[in-house]
Amino acid sequence: MIDLLIIGAGLTGLWAGILAGQKGLRTRIIATGHGALHWTPGTIEVLGYLPGDPQPVKRPFEAMERLFTHRPHHPYRLVEPSALRAGLTAFQQVVARSELPYQGAMRAEENLFLPSPVGAPRPVLLAPQAQAAGDMRRSEPYLIVGFHSMRDFYPTVIAENLSKLGHHARAAWLSPDILTDRSDVNVVQLAQALDDRVVAQRLAAALKPLLRPGERVGLPAVLGLERHPEVFQLLEAELGAPIFEIPTLPPSVPGMRLAQALRRHFEHDLQGQVDLGMTVSGFQTHNDMVTWVWSQASARAVKHRASAFLLATGGILGGGFHSDHSGRVWESIFDLPLAIPQNRSQWFRPTFLAPEGHPVFRGGIRVDAGFHPIDDEGRVLYRNLYAAGNLLTDSDGIAERSLEGIAIATAKASIDHLFSSR
Amino acid sequence: MSTFDWIPPEFTLDQCIKCNICVAHCPVAQVTDRFPGPKYAGPQAQRFRMPHQPSPDRSVDYCSGCRVCNEICPNDVSIMEMNAKARAALVAEQGMPLRNRLLGRNELMGKIGSYAPRLANFALHHPVSRLAASAIFGIAREAPLPTWSTTGTFLDWWEQHYPHRKRSHKKVVYFHGCATMYYEPFIGMAAVAVLEHMGYEVIVPPQRCCGLPMLSNGEFRAAEKLYDQNLEKLGPYAQDGYDIVGTSTSCTLTLKEEAPHLLDRHEVISRTLTGAVWDIFEWIREHEEELPQDFIDLSLTIPYHQPCQYRAHRVGRPSVDILRRIPGVTIHESGARCCGIAGTYGYKKEKYDIAMKVGEELFTFILEEETHHHTEFNACDSETCRWQIEHGTGQASRHPIEVLAAAYGLYDLEHRSLRNPKHAITS
Repeated sequence: MIDLLIIGAGLTGLWAGILAGQKGLRTRIIATGHGALHWTPGTIEVLGYLPGDPQPVKRPFEAMERLFTHRPHHPYRLVEPSALRAGLTAFQQVVARSELPYQGAMRAEENLFLPSPVGAPRPVLLAPQAQAAGDMRRSEPYLIVGFHSMRDFYPTVIAENLSKLGHHARAAWLSPDILTDRSDVNVVQLAQALDDRVVAQRLAAALKPLLRPGERVGLPAVLGLERHPEVFQLLEAELGAPIFEIPTLPPSVPGMRLAQALRRHFEHDLQGQVDLGMTVSGFQTHNDMVTWVWSQASARAVKHRASAFLLATGGILGGGFHSDHSGRVWESIFDLPLAIPQNRSQWFRPTFLAPEGHPVFRGGIRVDAGFHPIDDEGRVLYRNLYAAGNLLTDSDGIAERSLEGIAIATAKASIDHLFSSR
Repeated sequence: MSTFDWIPPEFTLDQCIKCNICVAHCPVAQVTDRFPGPKYAGPQAQRFRMPHQPSPDRSVDYCSGCRVCNEICPNDVSIMEMNAKARAALVAEQGMPLRNRLLGRNELMGKIGSYAPRLANFALHHPVSRLAASAIFGIAREAPLPTWSTTGTFLDWWEQHYPHRKRSHKKVVYFHGCATMYYEPFIGMAAVAVLEHMGYEVIVPPQRCCGLPMLSNGEFRAAEKLYDQNLEKLGPYAQDGYDIVGTSTSCTLTLKEEAPHLLDRHEVISRTLTGAVWDIFEWIREHEEELPQDFIDLSLTIPYHQPCQYRAHRVGRPSVDILRRIPGVTIHESGARCCGIAGTYGYKKEKYDIAMKVGEELFTFILEEETHHHTEFNACDSETCRWQIEHGTGQASRHPIEVLAAAYGLYDLEHRSLRNPKHAITS
């Protein structure tokens, strides 16, 4: 029997798996499919916006107290700030060893402001090295380069919006023939094409004449998949200018790189195992312990026994909750009690972009200080069941820009509690 | 439980949020423009597929059916089944080439060839006949077609040895499939030897092709006939509570899930058969406490590829779980998506290059393992994948059951034969 079964292969699940593996726990991760990392820009966002405030947060750690006045049960409340800091440092160490270094203004603990695919600022605390030079706090003028016929990436729009924010920015287009002779490609295929050194050199040669002295170059996030570090270094060296990637619409290459690096570290260095295509469909308990969970399979469900279980299935987008037309929302595996409006008319505020967000996205399960899911009276439901990540209540990770911070902080805290209670 | 929660594949399209993860990971879309990707051919085109209306496009024919999309989809969309049904609708509408009809009838081919295997091998593998097969039928000249067994079929061996095989109150039914029957009888011998070593009496009832080659070529009606015959021949064993184990992981998947799902067969007997079928290593893992511990130290590093069809069982990695129990055995998993062959896909002239490009990530892994660890063979649970891997790398490929049989001293891994063919224990 294994020590820990993690359900969910997003950042929370993978990071928890790595931490458990480092402690010597025999750990396995199962999930329906790839986690939300494949959709997200690969940056680590800790806190970017406070509820109701359109101004972005500059220093996330300083803004925490203000966050808690709006969100008294926020997951960050369950974690010491020092533990979050330590978690971020540990994260940086692990990804650096996987040749995927992350940077940020960590000494000042300030957010970077990176251009989104429409040129708006994204407040992030840690960014992959290949995105860091996009930081709007820097002064170099921008040259944003796109490829004709590439969907969902328009350098002109990005440059125009950056100019409106007061930056010097201009756009340029290149022919996609530089990268591939395929007629219709997605970002992942472009990234794979650039893994070829010859193609990367061809791109560098095409960029060179476009560049003016002192400029930095923004490109769609397709600078290699398997050989990303080499591609990035080659371009920087050939151009002699700062290069940065702008994340694209899903699927997201920087998110895939991060997911791949974390999974490889977990499986190759820590003897973990990740199995996808396994949707948990039931569970068995004895007294107040979960004894096993079932996952759907061909012919018959598969039984997974473990000493402890960590639920890391994410929020509504990740699949942690299901809902139906009547307005009922339920936690998808254990049907844990949810702090969420069970009436459809209360899910949303009247305006789509309401600055205080929509109540349904803040819904989630409640946990005690040991990260055990609890019921309405605060009682622990199962002594060996833990929960972490964005299925915890009272946070709205996307609106707050706190998805990854919550994942890293609560993964660490839950594994620490799990380990010490053994 | 999952069997009874079955949702028709077409209905799952509403679960698709168009996130494109499947397009990004589809091994076929990655290498060719001819297949736009699972999302487009599957849930997206599905909205335009109406009863009694012509099919909206033909690109779905380039889906290899590897099921990587199903495996990684975060929202449980049955993409591959949607594609398979769409292909069958195309075939019903527009007919199919004779070539696909031939490739679907591997059981018949196996049978015919086995009457004169040497002649059949000569005829099938002669460069001139391959040229003709390519020109006339569109079967790729270089494709890794199988070789008939020249020492008799699996059934020949079984009938000869059955009288002195092990008898036991514990019994298990063996589904050999067409490849073991006509091309690789030694896989069946290794399976029988291991099952007997575990204390079981093996039963080999009459059986038919599982129907997968027909299903994946869109010939659903013919496949259903085979499925009915298997229900008739194997169903009674399932009803009596026997487990049915198979060494061909795509055959077991077909009997478990693919045939009943694609053919809409959910009657009691069909569900009973489904519940009785196991891939052999899935079954061994379930019966791990009966696994004897008298292993020989094999001192081997084995690169292992879990076929996409095995991953589609969604039972984890049973072969790895068991092989790692053998002293001195180190398993290195490929992590590759697909070898490319996808049953009969890579045999087709217009798809051969696609299949080889898809297989590249696996071939590279195997060759790197050979360089770094001096491995002499690799392991894989599916026959067509093994032939493709041997074709793409030049390295011999073995079924994990051969490795397990060898670890008990029952089997010669190099010559692919039982060490003592008459070896029988009576209890």
